[in-house]
This record gives sequence, structure tokens and C-alpha cells, in this order.
Amino acid sequence: MDLIPVVNKIDLPAADPRGCAEQMAAAFDMDPEAVLFTSAKTGQGMEAVLPAVIERIHSPRGDPSGPLRMLLFDAFHDEYRGVVLLVKVVDGRVEVGMRVAMASTGAAYEVQEVGLQAPERHPTGRLLTGQVGYLLCGIKDLKAARVGDTLYAAVHQSQGVAAGAAVVGPPPPRLPGFKPAKAMVFAGLFPLGGDGQEFESLATAMDKLLLNDASVVVKRENSEALGPGFRCGFLGMLHMEIFTQRLQQEYGASVVTTTPMVPYVLEMSDGSSRTLESASEYPTDTRVSRILEPTVTATLISPDIYLGRLMELCAGRRGEQLEHSSLGGSRTMLRYRLPLAELAGDFYSLVKSRSQGYASFDYEEGPYRPADLVRLDILAHGKPVDALARMVAREEAASIGRALLVKMKDLLDRQQFEIVLQAAANGKIVARETIKALRKNVTAKCYGGDVTRKRKLLDRQKEGKRRMKRLGSIDVPQELFPELMKTR
Amino acid sequence: MYLRVVRSPSVSITARQAVGVLPLPTSPKPLQLGHISRLDIKAATASALAASAAVNSRVAAEPASTSKMPGDFTVADVQSAYIHLPFCKRKCFYCDFPVEAVGRDPTAPKVEARMRAYVDTVIREMEATRRLGTGTLRTVFFGGGTPSLLPPSLLELLLNALNAQFGLAPDAEVSLEADPGTFNVQRLRQYRQLGVTRLSVGVQAFQQELLEACGRGHDLPDVLAAVEAVHAAGMPSWSLDLISGLPGLTAEAWRYSLQRAVEAAPDHVSVYDLQVEEGTPFERWQRAGQLRLPPDDAAVEMYGEASELLRAAGYEHYEVSNYARPGHRCAHNQVYWRGLPYYAFGLGAASYLAGRRFSRPTRMREYTAWVDTLKLNGGDTLPGGYLPEESQEELLLDTIMLRLRTADGLDLAQLRNRFGSEALTTALRALAPHERRGTVLALDGQGRPCSLAEAAMDAAKEATTAPLPPLDALPPAAGLGKAQVDFQQRSRGPRVRLSDPRGFLLSNDIISDVFAEFDITKHTNGKRTT
Repeated sequence: MDLIPVVNKIDLPAADPRGCAEQMAAAFDMDPEAVLFTSAKTGQGMEAVLPAVIERIHSPRGDPSGPLRMLLFDAFHDEYRGVVLLVKVVDGRVEVGMRVAMASTGAAYEVQEVGLQAPERHPTGRLLTGQVGYLLCGIKDLKAARVGDTLYAAVHQSQGVAAGAAVVGPPPPRLPGFKPAKAMVFAGLFPLGGDGQEFESLATAMDKLLLNDASVVVKRENSEALGPGFRCGFLGMLHMEIFTQRLQQEYGASVVTTTPMVPYVLEMSDGSSRTLESASEYPTDTRVSRILEPTVTATLISPDIYLGRLMELCAGRRGEQLEHSSLGGSRTMLRYRLPLAELAGDFYSLVKSRSQGYASFDYEEGPYRPADLVRLDILAHGKPVDALARMVAREEAASIGRALLVKMKDLLDRQQFEIVLQAAANGKIVARETIKALRKNVTAKCYGGDVTRKRKLLDRQKEGKRRMKRLGSIDVPQELFPELMKTR
Repeated sequence: MYLRVVRSPSVSITARQAVGVLPLPTSPKPLQLGHISRLDIKAATASALAASAAVNSRVAAEPASTSKMPGDFTVADVQSAYIHLPFCKRKCFYCDFPVEAVGRDPTAPKVEARMRAYVDTVIREMEATRRLGTGTLRTVFFGGGTPSLLPPSLLELLLNALNAQFGLAPDAEVSLEADPGTFNVQRLRQYRQLGVTRLSVGVQAFQQELLEACGRGHDLPDVLAAVEAVHAAGMPSWSLDLISGLPGLTAEAWRYSLQRAVEAAPDHVSVYDLQVEEGTPFERWQRAGQLRLPPDDAAVEMYGEASELLRAAGYEHYEVSNYARPGHRCAHNQVYWRGLPYYAFGLGAASYLAGRRFSRPTRMREYTAWVDTLKLNGGDTLPGGYLPEESQEELLLDTIMLRLRTADGLDLAQLRNRFGSEALTTALRALAPHERRGTVLALDGQGRPCSLAEAAMDAAKEATTAPLPPLDALPPAAGLGKAQVDFQQRSRGPRVRLSDPRGFLLSNDIISDVFAEFDITKHTNGKRTT
């Protein structure tokens, strides 16, 4: 890839163009002399930018006379036209009326419209080698368009070779595709209602929402307390929050977001081993000799000044440092072995916020390693609430338990009876809170004939109740789950 | 100029047939006038009378009916009217009603002029309002504000206008809210002569400090003088208001207030638990942490104590906030709680006509402008007529809410007949956990305590084509009717009610549970509960 380094805003009093250029050169291994200095505000240096683009950026490399090859780099669903494909023509050319096929599926389509996005769709009738534009070929299902796929010209088998048409050989070699975006935050999504019908509505709503958001990773999941649901991977906490809000607002699908489980391996005292998929299944009766937790190998690259805070973060999350190397240009790379469970919450957000956005974070699957974990339960009236059980580090059990109870006391409305909440680690009580019973909830006031006013008050209370989830013997508001998820 | 309506024995006679003075409309409407005796009316203008007669001629001639079948709204008689009189000497610190403070001298010419202008506007509203049904008004309520600030002459104008437009029954209950310090025996006698039959005295507390703490415009001596005046004037029925949960109120002080209230021997007592409303001085002080309200537990105790003490003194706790001696239940308020229709006039007043609940603007300028538009529309408007008629679901939820706030409770057979057996089961399902906690009680067809399930079975047994029981009919006027009627009307048919005091105290929680149950049912079944 050709890069043109440009240092902008040199008009600012605090600007240090030379210093910046040197940093860039060091970080990206380029010639400091190649750096352009500009100020978009005053116009200084701007005249050199476009010529540099023309000069330094290679023209598209491709064979205009070769067989058609296109890279499908994006696709979305348009309400009126169906699936719109965004393509880059690598070799050859594409025209309306041609038949093209997907390399991954072999499915062939007829090109109905082709043109440029500038930014509205402008049909041009064809795209030439090196051009980037859009394609409409009558695809209805977004799943049929795989981002990163190659499209090539196809000739219908049964047609045979039309008179005068070029003989088509085997399909051209595929283009290297894309890496899918990596999910950074995982959460379980369950319908608020919990019965079969609510799940169906949620599934339908998610399907529709996912049509235009290919970055969410979705898997079916089943919870004892919450019923059928999904385990989803998002690009970040904000992504997750937006996704769940859109489910609620655009499709009326109320969801409960829970901390998802990661699969642990339990080694029992009798030598057998089994997988733990749900914290509520952790045996408190039989002895477990070892718990193995899944880990990730995380790579963080950050400017030196944020290192301390990032290292503190990783250490606080039971991270094991694997590598610490300087990359020059006052940047450092850290490699840590982190528990996969840590990725469920706000870890990624904290990496970003602690480094003012400058740090980068990437991870790959790591090995299982032994961990000193206990099962933390929340008990209501002495009975554990399955949906709230989680595995935590032994030394953190008491503090997390207390924090959870305080949060719950905050969020739970007073009921008509007293609620006794407890937190227990492997069965041993570590914290306790009592929520007093509701003693009065009455509109004694004289509104006289203004019945509507009384109704509004009660309707509001009813709304609050509608968003409740029955967990064991208590009703909890939907908002409880994401809040508890954030609590440490 | 006076016109007299003469009693006529025949059934079909024109309304308000003037004797000799005014020209009559040519298309008269038959009206049953058998029970009206002599009524003096002083016409504000001749055209007003003509206009009102023209209005009457437009209403279809139907026999008066007190039974209300769902959907049959346009024919139902509307026999109640509320009139809002917003003037007060000053605004109490907890008040969020539409009121106008006029200062310490309500008799000042500027104030009187403002009141006169307002009354004129209200009369214009009355004249422009369509009359529904053929019955006359049987309950009238002047609320506010402080209605007793209004000079009797202005009250007379309002009553005359009501009579001219809708007809005022001779045995109508006419209630007036009054504050201590705004009336004496003479004034009360004048009100009585005009037809006021019930007085509601806003005492609120029997402690000087508390009266000052809530910004009342009267003091303790005013209270005592007011009670004396009421007795001396011989009002057929009167009520005393108290507010519990006031800042600085102690359990002892509350008990004292209750005892003094009982000693004053009112026929009716209203006890309101203070609610801090947005936009009031109390709310500002509460936010600044300066409001010393009694804690929740204390407020609960006060409510329970009021209930015990007043019931022991012979008052029936017939609604969340209201207690009455036999025969002295407020008929007008019961119209609200039984879901009967009512006119409303004045600033911020809420009416319920032809299945539409409509509230007037709460600011004077907007209210006046709104009344002007009524007249522009040809002057025969159904207020809120542009709103859709309430749905069966709205009616169902309103019925449940209003009836559960009364001691008479929710009639299960009626619920089933009107809204279907599924509505009944849904409601009972929501109430079952509360029955277990003792906050909801069930009574069988004979008024004896039973279980929810038994009451449900009794309700199912009642014939589905049974005519609607008299509970729907207009209740008798306080103090004028027969005392026994209250009792008769009470125990009819299997019903559920909230317990006293715990059920009443948690009424919002219980009622919203029932609402939530209907909501859930609607969402999961995808079909309506009717």
C-alpha cells in the first residue's frame, strides 16, 4: 500500500512539524523527507498534496484485457433494490447484462445495474479495471454476499458456448479476501419474556438488524434461568449498547444482556474432566481438583506514557506478562496472557480510555491454564438465582459480591415484602443486604375528575413492571443485567 | 327580567317555556319535565336563552336512561358538572392545581373585576357546550382554588347559567369548597339560598405551625370560626379536609387533629396524604434537602390511625381518601368513581363526555382563547369531540382503577358482563398474590367474606343478560337522600376490594400489577382481552 505522510495543522502554536515527521518515520518506517507539511486552515502546503497523490499512489495494477475479477469488499441491504454489492474491479471490466458468479458459492447472477457511488448511486453501465463502484444483481439475501469474496464472469452451463463468444476456461484465481473484524466484547442476549414466542420475536428482530451489521458474531445459547437466547460478539461496548438499544427501539424486542460464560474445564478429584458451560452448573457438592480457564494472548501496542496504566489494568485482570518490547518512537508492545472471561466486559473500553485512544489491542486464542476461581452466587431469600451466578477469582469474591449486592439494592424496586439478598462464594456467605418492604404506594391526593392524571401515574408504574424479569422469587428490572455486568 | 318555568303534567312540552316574554324556537324538543317545580332563572341575555334552546332542539328526543351500555355514549344522560374557580388568597406550598393568587383582599375592585371576567368566560363555555341526553344536573361541584372567595352574586350567575343550559334538579347536590377565613354565617346562608347543599371545608390541620408551614391562607382561629359558622348556617351536609404527611407533623399532632376533626362533627371527612409535586415550593425545598417530611413508616401509621379513629367514630371509609356518615357520601365524587359521565367548566377542568376525557387549558389566557374557539365553532361543541372515543381497554383499566379505590370495590359479575370472562380471569390472576398477602379481599353475592376463587365462581353463575345493577345509577345527594340507600347500594354481587388500611395504602402498586397483567396478556396472546 502506498502511503503519503501528511502533517496537518502546522498553523497551531503548539505544532512541532519536524518532531512529528520524525515520529512518523520511526513508527512507520518511512523517509522523513517524504512527509508533506500542510495547514488546511490557512492553505499552506495544500498545493503539494494532490500532485503527490497522483505521483506516488500507484495506478491500479490489473489487467484490463484479462478475464473479469472483482473483489467484493462490502454489501448491504437496500429496502427497494435488494442487496447492493460494493466491488473493486481488479481485472477486466464488468457491464450490465453480463453474468457474474461468486467464487465461494459458485452462484451466478445477472448484472442489472452497475455504477459509481458518488455518494449516491450513479449508474454508468460499466466499470473498468481499477474502478470501485456498486453492483446490483438481484440478490435478496445478504448472507449470499460474503465480504472478501471474488466475482468473475460466468457463462451459463446449459447455454454452452454462444456463437462468437470467447471460450471461457476455468474460473480465474481468487483474490485474497478480508480478515473478519474481531469481536472484542461478548454478551448473552435473552428475551425478557423467556417463553418460546418471545425468543422467536427476538430471533426475527436480530435477523433483520444483522442484515446491515455483518460485524456482529452470533451463536445460539441456552440458559437455565433465562431460556433460549444468543451469545454475541461485538466490536466494543458501545457497539453492544447500540445494538441492544436498536433491538428495543426499532423492533420492540426487549432483551436481557448477561455476562456470557466462557467454557471452563473442570478436573474432578476422581480424575475425570468435564466442561463447564454455565456457572450455575459448577458443582458445590463434589470436589473439583483444578479449574482450567481459557485464555487469550493479547497484544497491546501503546505510546510509552500510557504503559503504566495499561500494565496495571492487565495485572488487575489476572494477566500474565509474556513480553515487553520497545518499538522505537516511544512506543512499546506488550504481550499478555489474559483470561478470556475478561474480554466479556469493559476491558477493551478501558484499554482505549486509559491510553486516550492511542493503544491498539489485538488477541488470539491462547491455551487453557489453571485458575483459582470460585462460583459466586447471588441468593434471594436463601435461594441462588441461577442467572446471576458467575465464576470469579477467589480473592475477589467478597468484594465483587458486596459490589453486586449494593448495585442490586440500588436498582431493585421495593416489593410488598422484604427482600434478603446474599452473596455466596462456593456456598459460603460473603455479603448481605436487605431491601425493606414497600409500605405505601398510593395516590391519596384529590384529583377529582381528572382521571387521566391518576391513570398516567399508574401507567408509568405498570411500565416499570412490564420490564421486569422474574428471577426466582424476585422481580428484577431489565436494566439490572447490563449494570451487574459492569460491576466488579 | 325574570322568566318562570311552570310545572307541567304532560310529557311532551318544550323546555323552559317562557310565559309571555320571549319568542320561542319553532322546533321544540320533547322533554320530560314532570318532576321540576318552580325554578327562577335570571337570563343573562335573551340571546343566551335562545341559543340554549336551539341547542336543546338538536339533541335527539330519547327517553332518559340511566343504564350505560358500552358504545351507547351519545344517548347517556350527563347529570353532573364540575366548575373550577381558581382564585385563592395565596397559593399553598404544596399546591399544583391551576390557581390564581389574588392577595389578602378578595373584595378589592380589581379582584372582583377579574372574578367577574372569569365567570363570564365560564358562562360562555357553558353556553357553547353541547348538552348530552335529556336529564338535568343532579350533582354540581364547585372546586378550586377557593370557590368561597366568589361573591354569592357571581355564584348565582353560574348556577343560573347551568340551569338555563342543562337544567338543575331541585334535589341536586351542589357542593362548594370553602376555606376557613373566607366565609361567615351570612355568606353561607346566601350560598344555601342559591342552592348550595354541601360544603367542603379545607381545614388541613389543627395546628397553627402546620398551617403556616404549608402556606395556608388561614390560621387556627379561622378554623374554629369556620366550623361554628357551618353549624350555624345549617348546611345539609358538610365535609372537613385533613392532610397527613405534612412536614413537621408528628404522630401525636396527627392524632390530635383527627380528634378535633371528629369533635367538629362533620358529616364527611377527607384525608389526603401529602404528595410533593413538581414545580411547587415543597419540591424545591425537598431538592435542597430542607423539607422535613415524616418518614414513610410514620406516614403509613398516620393513614392507619385515621382509618381506625374515623371508623370508630362512625364514619364509613368508602374511598381511599374519603370517610362519610351514612347518607353523606359525596354523590358528585361517586360519579367519578363509578365511571359516569360529567361536564366540566373552567380553568384546567377535566370532563368525561361521550367516552372522551378532556382537560381544559390550565393557563388563563389559553383557557379564554379556547372558550372563544368554542363559540366560533357554532357554539354546540362536544368538548374533546375531536378525540377518539375511549377504547374498551381504556374503559376497562379505568374501571378497575376507580373501583378498586372504593370500599364498594370491583363488581365481578359486571366486569364479566361488560368486558368478558377473560378480562375477569386476568384481573383475578393479578390480584391473587395480593389476596395471599391480605391486601385484597373478596366478598360473595351476599356481602360475606370469601375467597377470590369463590367470588369468581359466583360471578360466573350470574346470568349474562342481567340488567346492569343500580350501582351504575347516580348516587343520592349527600344529606338530602335517604340514609339507607347507601347501605342498599353497597353489598350487591360478588366483588373484590382492597383491604383497609393496608390495601388502600398499596393501591397504586396493586392496581398497576393488574394493569401489567393485562399488558402481558395482550402481548403474548396477541388478542385483546375483550
